[in-house]
Amino acid sequence: MRYWVKGRFTRATILGLVIGEAFSVIFILFGSSTYLSFSNRVGLSTGLSEVALSLFLALFLVGLIQSGFNGSGLPLSASDVDYVFTSPVPPREVFAAKVLLNSLTTVLFGFPPIIVLYSRFSAYYHTSWSAAVLAGLVTLVFLVIGLLLSADITLSLGHGLGERKKMWRNLFIVLVMVVSLLPMTLLIPGIPAGIADVTRVLPNGLAATVSVGLVSGTAGGLTYLTDLLLLFAWLGVVLLLGVRMSRGHFYDLLEVSSTNTEKFDRPNQVSQLDPRGKSIWSIVRLKEKILISRTREARAQLISIIFLAGFMIIYALSGSFQSSPTSFLFILFIIGSFGSGTASRWIEKERLWILKSSPVSMRRYVKEVYRARAAPLLLYLAPVVIAVGVPLILGGLSQPSLLLGVILALPGALQIASITMAGGMFFASKYGQSSTEDILSSQAQELADIRRFLFQTIINLVMVSPVILLVFVSAGLVAILGPSYLPILALGLLSISIIFTSFSINFLLNKAGDAVTGREDL
Amino acid sequence: MVEISIENLTKNYGTLVALDNVSLKIGSAEVFGLLGPNGAGKSTLLKILVGILRPTSGTIQLGEYDILANPEKAKKLIGYLPENPSLYTGLTTLEFLQFVGKIRRVADDLLDQEILESLKSFELEEKRNSLVGSLSKGMKQKVALIATSLHSPSVLVLDEPLTALDPKTRVSVKDWIGGQTKRGVTTILSTHDLDVAQMHAGKIAIIDHGKIVAVGDVESLRRMANTASDARLEDVFLQLTEEKGEERTRH
Repeated sequence: MRYWVKGRFTRATILGLVIGEAFSVIFILFGSSTYLSFSNRVGLSTGLSEVALSLFLALFLVGLIQSGFNGSGLPLSASDVDYVFTSPVPPREVFAAKVLLNSLTTVLFGFPPIIVLYSRFSAYYHTSWSAAVLAGLVTLVFLVIGLLLSADITLSLGHGLGERKKMWRNLFIVLVMVVSLLPMTLLIPGIPAGIADVTRVLPNGLAATVSVGLVSGTAGGLTYLTDLLLLFAWLGVVLLLGVRMSRGHFYDLLEVSSTNTEKFDRPNQVSQLDPRGKSIWSIVRLKEKILISRTREARAQLISIIFLAGFMIIYALSGSFQSSPTSFLFILFIIGSFGSGTASRWIEKERLWILKSSPVSMRRYVKEVYRARAAPLLLYLAPVVIAVGVPLILGGLSQPSLLLGVILALPGALQIASITMAGGMFFASKYGQSSTEDILSSQAQELADIRRFLFQTIINLVMVSPVILLVFVSAGLVAILGPSYLPILALGLLSISIIFTSFSINFLLNKAGDAVTGREDL
Repeated sequence: MVEISIENLTKNYGTLVALDNVSLKIGSAEVFGLLGPNGAGKSTLLKILVGILRPTSGTIQLGEYDILANPEKAKKLIGYLPENPSLYTGLTTLEFLQFVGKIRRVADDLLDQEILESLKSFELEEKRNSLVGSLSKGMKQKVALIATSLHSPSVLVLDEPLTALDPKTRVSVKDWIGGQTKRGVTTILSTHDLDVAQMHAGKIAIIDHGKIVAVGDVESLRRMANTASDARLEDVFLQLTEEKGEERTRH
């Protein structure tokens, strides 16, 4: 445990986690306020509902199940297999240490944002802070259940589990996922509200019921006690399953990835890269698209798009967009800053020798990679922007001062997403890890990551601030010049904003190309 | 036919001197062996030569082009194989080679033909649609070698091409190197395998602690090391690097 803790919690990592925590807390405060505004406006319920929390936890559970199937439910590296499993350590202790380490991190760093969330809601319900703490503890139990379930799934991926058992496992997981997400059907008009009760047998439903009961002051009685006991029963079952599977040499069950032996679902593929008649740069873009489609990155990209689109829709429905388009862009920037970490995946690391020893301009190469990566994001977000924008613009025609802000903020969302992505690529080029294998360099990298995260957020904020500023001053400009100038103002400011965005992206990508050329560790 | 001229090349990493005033002349169509202990500076020298790293000072001329002043033109002449070539594991063998061929400016009508012939000669035809990540280490090394020579380079820079290969793959890689040298390609071969150096290289440089300790053919190296006329290259190498090591200790 100490060996893993030492590798994981360096001073730099802790600093990074604290910064992450601060961002989470800010995000949760924004999110919970938006939710309260949304739920009151739409009239789904007053305040925090069990269904909404259950759904939120269900999404988390689905994510953990996914990571379990991806083989990362029990984070073990190839060097753990070589050095830890070949040492005379009882395998169960290894399992316990890994699970404990994972749970400890989650509990330690999940607690502050959860407490902030429940405190916000306990203030809403006028209940005591101790109710918020208790509700937070119940949610943490749920998180540990999720982590254990994820570890169990990872253990069950190996060849040790028979085909029949695997079938039952898959059926069970599908059932958990379907039942967890069932309350989503409540969004369809006419669906009976009682359908949400089915989730009360699952950890997310149980945790939501008890937590909401505590924070809203309605908890008590036998039903809540039964729910709590059921939740702990889940904990016991997933723990027992894990301990049982980790008997003997449980590393046999794991599919630990190593650099030399990679496992692919379909090791043979039809070639999609026909270079005939195509330019070098279209081949670069095509290569990038193929690599994205064959890795988990496509899924990560889709999740980012859904998340951003969901945020835009909820924000528009809650009415916050119309009242403050500037805050919309600012929150979008915060979300984008978390997401722009995925831009670091473009960096070729050990594969850069192929490019650096070839007669290609790195500036141009980076720009083509950007085109390949940014295009799907913008392509999928554009219809959402239009769908959100049209009713907002039509509804705002009577208030010209707000209308200009909305007109500028909608494409501004795409502009901010584009700039933060370019910024992410620049910082990945400047500070991205050169190798995934070298432990020493990866520890040094943690420092670079924190520097990168801080610089990236600050520099990206500076880069996007003119776009946000234009939205901010738009209402004032309409007020000074009068509503008759609205079309000219809209066209002029939009043009300025788009030209600025193009220059910013070009500047950041040139810097990224130069950074890669100058890096000596790549 | 390309000559290589390296003059007063120095590379510092902070306070560490990786290369110290290195000067070498490599004739056209020559096979030049580069020997040295681990950490001697061989890979750094080769990376500067192919334009991956920038030197602290000094120049490298490849034919008529300076690698620093005209990197894109100079790189067209070079085929480089790093010590541990990392490939795009998510591409198929064919896609990977098509991509590399394209960015190295191979004409479309030649590219497919070149790839198919190379895959055939390395017995990799059946793996053309396999993802590179699913190939064995030996197969990956063969794919990397094909990628190195797709654009018919005039200069080949090979960094430890035989490391950790099974005997069968070693034989095919050695044959490939032999084939390239017969084509008149100027080859720089960094290796720990002294037999390979002795067999292929007309001239050998021994590098230690960033400095060139000795340069010449095997005969002249034997004389420099004061060893017997039939001494193995291994003994010559040890003698020369130890002598210089002692010299450094004395200073």
